[in-house]
Amino acid sequence: MVTIEHRNAKVKLAEQVYEPAEDSYLLADTALDLVKDCMSILEIGTGTGFVSAVLKANRNISLIATEISPIAAKCAKSNGIDVIRTDMFAGLIEKKQFDVVLFNPPYLPTSEDEKVPGWLNYAFDGGVDGRKDVEPFMQQVSNYLKPHGFILMLISSLTGIDEVIEKMRKYSFNAQVIASEKCSFEKLVIIMASATNNE
Amino acid sequence: MKKDLMDILACPICKGDLVLNIEKEDANEVISGTLYCSVCNEYYPIEEGIPNMLPPDLRE
Repeated sequence: MVTIEHRNAKVKLAEQVYEPAEDSYLLADTALDLVKDCMSILEIGTGTGFVSAVLKANRNISLIATEISPIAAKCAKSNGIDVIRTDMFAGLIEKKQFDVVLFNPPYLPTSEDEKVPGWLNYAFDGGVDGRKDVEPFMQQVSNYLKPHGFILMLISSLTGIDEVIEKMRKYSFNAQVIASEKCSFEKLVIIMASATNNE
Repeated sequence: MKKDLMDILACPICKGDLVLNIEKEDANEVISGTLYCSVCNEYYPIEEGIPNMLPPDLRE
């Protein structure tokens, strides 16, 4: 079994589960700069559990993660993550209880004939515009995020950075790019977003 | 799953509370069992320590 190590975390990989790449490392490192001890964290679509495992290895936090793929959920569990198999927020109680919600969505624009077989498609397929999951995420996230909490979302230049920020504003979030990294054919960015009207 | 996860879980259909039924557990967590929603009359399985909160038609 292949294991990778990053910043005190050891993470086992599995077949048919997205292998942590530049995007995962950028989200993990950026989140680690912002997540403090005692925070309550939710990661949506955790995959191997890599980002969550890096946070747990370095911070004293409470963290849960969701994952739709049964293979990835099992992998994340084997990496010590408290994982719930569900579609995004579906199996979670509607309570504004998380300080931070992390999301590395499937962000690649994907046409019908570009889909990959099996559960792995959930890791890549962002729909035709790459933003398929951004809309339902933004629609729901306020029900789970504390009023002063924030979102960290990783997307790519291929996803349309301005379009995603615009969408976040539509849902009354202040959003800005706080980290970025150039990769071969794309630029990866982390968007940090917090609610504008903190009741 | 750890038992305190019950504070976070809800029925994915009606978002209501669930009743935990434990079949197997160890010192740390529930390994298998079910989560029952009385409003929807639906059971969600816990397998290998992972609660499966997918609606029945999407489960596998």
